[in-house]
Amino acid sequence: MKHIAVFGYSTLSIAVMTRLRDCHYQQIFIGQDEQQTALMSAQGFISQVIDFKNDDALKEIGVGTYINTIFCFFPTDSDNVFLTISARALDPGLIIIAIVDDPESADKLLAAGADKIIDPHEICGRKAHDILTRPEISTILDNTVFGQHDLNMAEVEIPPDSYFEDCLVCTLKLSEKHNLILLGVVKSELSGELFLAIGEQAYSLAVGDVLVVLGTTADIQAFKDEVGRVN
Amino acid sequence: MDMMLARLLVYCAYFLESSRAYQNTKRFFYDLLENTNSRMKAHFDMFMICLVMFSVILLIYEVDTPPTNLEIVFERAIVLVFALEYVLRGWLYNDSHKIIIEYHEQTQYLKIPFRFGKAMRMVIGRKIDYMLSPLAIIDLLAILPSYRSLRILRIFLIFRLFKLLRYFNSIKLFTEVLSSKRFELFTLMIFLGFIVLIGSTAIYLFEKPTANTQVNNLFDAAYFTIVTVSTVGYGDITPHSTGGRLVAMMLILSGLGVFSFLTSILVSGFNDKMRSMQENRTYTELKRHAHFVIICGFGRVGEHIAKLLAKDRKHFVVIDIDEKNVLEAKRLGYLVIHADASKNNVLLNAGINNGATSVLCTTGNDVINVYITLSSRYLNPTIRIISRANQPDNVKKLYQAGANDIIQPFAIAAMVAAEYVGQPVAFEAIQGILRKEKQLLMEAVAVLHGSALIDKSIAALDFEQRKLILIGVISSHAAHHRHRKNRYDVNDQQFYFNPDPHFILQEGDLLVLMGRDVSIDHFRNQFKGSQRRP
Repeated sequence: MKHIAVFGYSTLSIAVMTRLRDCHYQQIFIGQDEQQTALMSAQGFISQVIDFKNDDALKEIGVGTYINTIFCFFPTDSDNVFLTISARALDPGLIIIAIVDDPESADKLLAAGADKIIDPHEICGRKAHDILTRPEISTILDNTVFGQHDLNMAEVEIPPDSYFEDCLVCTLKLSEKHNLILLGVVKSELSGELFLAIGEQAYSLAVGDVLVVLGTTADIQAFKDEVGRVN
Repeated sequence: MDMMLARLLVYCAYFLESSRAYQNTKRFFYDLLENTNSRMKAHFDMFMICLVMFSVILLIYEVDTPPTNLEIVFERAIVLVFALEYVLRGWLYNDSHKIIIEYHEQTQYLKIPFRFGKAMRMVIGRKIDYMLSPLAIIDLLAILPSYRSLRILRIFLIFRLFKLLRYFNSIKLFTEVLSSKRFELFTLMIFLGFIVLIGSTAIYLFEKPTANTQVNNLFDAAYFTIVTVSTVGYGDITPHSTGGRLVAMMLILSGLGVFSFLTSILVSGFNDKMRSMQENRTYTELKRHAHFVIICGFGRVGEHIAKLLAKDRKHFVVIDIDEKNVLEAKRLGYLVIHADASKNNVLLNAGINNGATSVLCTTGNDVINVYITLSSRYLNPTIRIISRANQPDNVKKLYQAGANDIIQPFAIAAMVAAEYVGQPVAFEAIQGILRKEKQLLMEAVAVLHGSALIDKSIAALDFEQRKLILIGVISSHAAHHRHRKNRYDVNDQQFYFNPDPHFILQEGDLLVLMGRDVSIDHFRNQFKGSQRRP
């Protein structure tokens, strides 16, 4: 179960929490004053006012214990950096996602220990560029993978003793057998690097490798079940 | 008699007004001589510049060698061209028949007699206006001296060089600066005139009576004064009396003042013109591009888009009202117009109907975005408008205003954040592909008319062999409707995800492919060239 804490009131906080509500995660909104929490409570989110500069207050809401993801959505970069440093000190394994206003602050946030930096302006610029240059792909992805239609991208990890261990990528034939498209493989020994499935036909899968697939929820679930089957 | 002539005149005027051939001819010569946007004028200007230069070189050559017959013929031909140009420009200057028609309508309305003399006076008056315009005078002076009996006028042949004024925009700018500062220059000239008058009189009075004087008359005095005031000081005439020397000293000092004043007037004149000069440069550059994008608002979002477009080597122009943003865009070397993008004439000047393919409204203010969207849609009903909505409530309003696509920064950022929480690895991977950070690309390849892809099945194409992944096919073709599986309706098209091996491609389909850039380019080229095959 994921426990998420969202710090700071902004349009983005509401948008993220609304989106994550459907995923049935445990979410809590942390505001800086009563007015913010009242607004979030009105939307149906659990809210609380704490002073984020105080480590004890952070511990109280579960940072360092059961909270495993935090969003730093304060409007000022310095607040986000401070929160990131405090939270990282409390929990080295915490996933910290921070918003950045000035691009120069991105490096500071990463240095403070954030896992993912979100620059809304940059994403927006990229989106506009995509709509302009590749309208078809942009619309398709928006409507299927990121949108209402039941087409998702998922990562499927090869568990120990899986039926798929030592299987050659070219023998998988996911599109025929499982109605899934294999986009790539993230090899366990190389952190986070995606290899396009097509260029790595002769690669045999190892435990811990992650297959990145595209397909419907039902197909993905069926495939996950099969991958989990013990050889 | 007067009545007859008047009737004939009115008849001719109406005839010209309705004559298509006349209008077309006039239009042709307008494009050739006056229309700054026409390509023909550019060529004509070049031709005239060459002609002027050639004729001047010929004149210099003729100074000490008698002209040959060929040269005389050539000279006459050049003069003929100049004369023709002069007459044509006079013709294009205004529409005389319109003056007559207007006058005629006036007389009809007021029920007063149409006077032939008055009408002609009005017509000729306008043409005289043309003849008295500085450029027309220069043109005339460039023609007249070739009348050989007026040898004294030969010096005016120099005016041929002034003719070049017409053909160079930068020289035109200089004359504009001079005319915009004419009041200051006029004041200065009067002041200078006073100095010269007082100086030459004083020098004459002091120097003339001295024993070995060099100032013999008032002309010598004026010559000395001007040479001294301008700080040139040839030294051929020097004052010998104490009074004369004192005057010379005063002249030198006041000369310094006058000329520094003159310089500052010209510099400030150029400064005032600087902005319009730079904007002209922007417009000229834009005219060279057949397709470009207009970015309204150069904030953080606009800057990112500009950066990406510049990377793609796509042309674009930025419009922003904020001085700081404009400077930043200029620093990055982008084409910028410093103006309010919600004004119609700003968008028109930027080329919304003249080469622009899309308008991006990326300001941080939704009210302004709606306004720009509306203005753009009003000016060009078919242009693609992509607009930014900062508040979710305003999406609808932007669509109503005529936007084709809406970008919501916070919604997209929220999506990114939410996807990251769920599956960070896959997400980072796909983002990397979408950002084109790696060599992997996701691209759409169209099945063009006559392409060998038509009627091919997916199985026959063997994408695996081509090192490509087929994600799906986008199509609105009715032939595919029987494929129910993995069909998604997107806008008014269908997206067939992971199509069956026996899926048959049709013209107009879009293949969504993923692979290395080389594989995709190879695939595209392979099936582009097939258009010529039988």
